[in-house]
Amino acid sequence: MNAEQKRAWLAIASGVACLGALVVIAIFWGIKFAPAAFGFLGVNGLGGFIGSKEKADERDLAICRKASIAGFVASYLAFCAGCMGVWVGVYAFGHRQTVSVHTVAEITMIGWGTCLWVRAIVILVLYGRHVEPSGE
Amino acid sequence: MNEITNRIRRLRFDHGEMTQQELAEKVGVTRQTIIALEAGKYTPSLALAFRLARAFGKGVEEVFQCDQSGG
Repeated sequence: MNAEQKRAWLAIASGVACLGALVVIAIFWGIKFAPAAFGFLGVNGLGGFIGSKEKADERDLAICRKASIAGFVASYLAFCAGCMGVWVGVYAFGHRQTVSVHTVAEITMIGWGTCLWVRAIVILVLYGRHVEPSGE
Repeated sequence: MNEITNRIRRLRFDHGEMTQQELAEKVGVTRQTIIALEAGKYTPSLALAFRLARAFGKGVEEVFQCDQSGG
């Protein structure tokens, strides 16, 4: 397992911890405090210490490139879906004209989390599959 | 569909049972990439294909073959 795969597993582990904490906090302390669970995503910053001296070759770069594109696409879709969800819930059916100041942060974290998890899953899948070079 | 196959595993053994690690160091990639190449799970760039061929003292077409089946 190389550094990129270890970082991908860290992202998945932090994602599972985040979702678990989200549910636990929502049940025991209320939905108002649930976004605190996004703090688990900060663990991914430690990924920078994993294999920092390990060299990546063209296959690693091709896989990272494809995974990053997939992560970006997924996060963009999640961000847009989140924004439209707020629009539907608040303006269209909620008949309110204002949103909580926390909403933007929550939607951003959902988008960021989606990017991390999708990228991690694609990395783990592509290391076991046939890969073409990035075309450089 | 064009499928690229290679004779890397055969050539390694023909060159004094060269290990995957030795070949990886020679051409500047990781051992994981050599494993993927031998298993047909990675199609190398042209530059890497040339480096691999030179590592065995062969031409690119002696190491890599393109099956042009099915158009």
